Amino acid sequence: MTVVTYEGAQFPVADGETVLDALLRAGQVVPYGCRAGVCHSCMMSADDAAPVRQAQAGLSDTQKALNYFLSCQCQPASPLEVKVVNAVGEKKLVEVLEKTALSDTVYRLRLAPGLSYRPGQYVNLSRDAKLSRSYSLASLPTDPWLEFHIRHYPDGAFSSWIANELNAGDTLELQGPLGHCIYAAEANQPLLLLGTGTGLAPLWGIAREALAQGHTAPITLVISGRSLDDCYYREELLALAAAHDNVTVTWVLQEGEAAVQVEVADIYQYCKERFPELNGYKIYLCGAKTFVNKLRKQCFFAGAAVRDISTDVFLQAGSL
Amino acid sequence: MSVYEKIGGDGAVEAAVDIFYRKVLMDDRISDFFDTVDMDRQRAKQKAFLTMAFGGPNNYTGKDMREGHKHLNLTEEHFNAVAENLIATLQELSVPQEYIDEIVGICLSVKDDVLNK
Repeated sequence: MTVVTYEGAQFPVADGETVLDALLRAGQVVPYGCRAGVCHSCMMSADDAAPVRQAQAGLSDTQKALNYFLSCQCQPASPLEVKVVNAVGEKKLVEVLEKTALSDTVYRLRLAPGLSYRPGQYVNLSRDAKLSRSYSLASLPTDPWLEFHIRHYPDGAFSSWIANELNAGDTLELQGPLGHCIYAAEANQPLLLLGTGTGLAPLWGIAREALAQGHTAPITLVISGRSLDDCYYREELLALAAAHDNVTVTWVLQEGEAAVQVEVADIYQYCKERFPELNGYKIYLCGAKTFVNKLRKQCFFAGAAVRDISTDVFLQAGSL
Repeated sequence: MSVYEKIGGDGAVEAAVDIFYRKVLMDDRISDFFDTVDMDRQRAKQKAFLTMAFGGPNNYTGKDMREGHKHLNLTEEHFNAVAENLIATLQELSVPQEYIDEIVGICLSVKDDVLNK
């Protein structure tokens, strides 16, 4: 017999009993379905991978990397702490180290480090109890800061506060990390990273994380935008591609003139023609909802496995 | 031994699920039922269905089948479309005909519940 900690309380788990059954027996509300390890409704995450490893059959590499497990399949031998997947956790105050304009509309915020996360995950940033937005991490855990790319919408309450009022030395609230758009691939699996706007933020983290972990297969980055003025981090991306033989970067623009590594095309048509066969690829789609949803289906139809497509959908301020 | 075990258990379901899901999403007769933003969850549902259809481990009852489908107002045509895509998936994976027949038999056994008859 052992104990499981859930939402701050401890619950006994009898020998041979599953985490799910122990929590249900104690009257806790936990989503579940088939109780046979198939439907994944009862998926939870654990503080430690070891006690839940036998309950990860059928999960994706990404889910395993985040210590996800199926509570209906887990008979723990030792104490563990579990959470419903994507529970947000505590808020903490962090200091702004730097604020820089990357383009006419995008600001880079660098905050004091001290968060345990995987590149590509996101956090909630808050001005106060009433105003909060989600932003993806663009940094690596080894960077001496947490980096975010913030698009300023003139009508957006939070992004206007960032653009007009927040300064280095100020503090804001941070809650997270959340999300599962992270690097979890075999080193020899080709990566396709497709982003629009500040969808580059998680891709910038994921691409550098892949390289840091010794990824050997091609890493193809495609950034979609209206015009070249929209596209920030041009020099940084070109430098990344120049420094690594397996990295290529292409900008696909709605307007302007084609140039080296710049195409003027419809992004959906471009992907259809350029990537007709995606069987075996690991794909990351980050940015606006229509962009992500349309390309996800398109990539799936081109042969990519559902589990090899990771997404980070941005909801514009006000659409929540 | 169930057909699920004979064709390779969970590995066989894993091999089939994306092929099957792709086919139903491309089939105009039924794609609307499967076209959702949450593709991971939809894939898990497809996997649960295939596991059941192969006679694998599941705790679904006829009542579950009825409750889970009755709001969809499904017709014979919808049921047949799903069955055709399932058969095409199994053929693509070179599953022997006798096993395919057995799987179709399991699907037919829940047909009345699925169509709420």
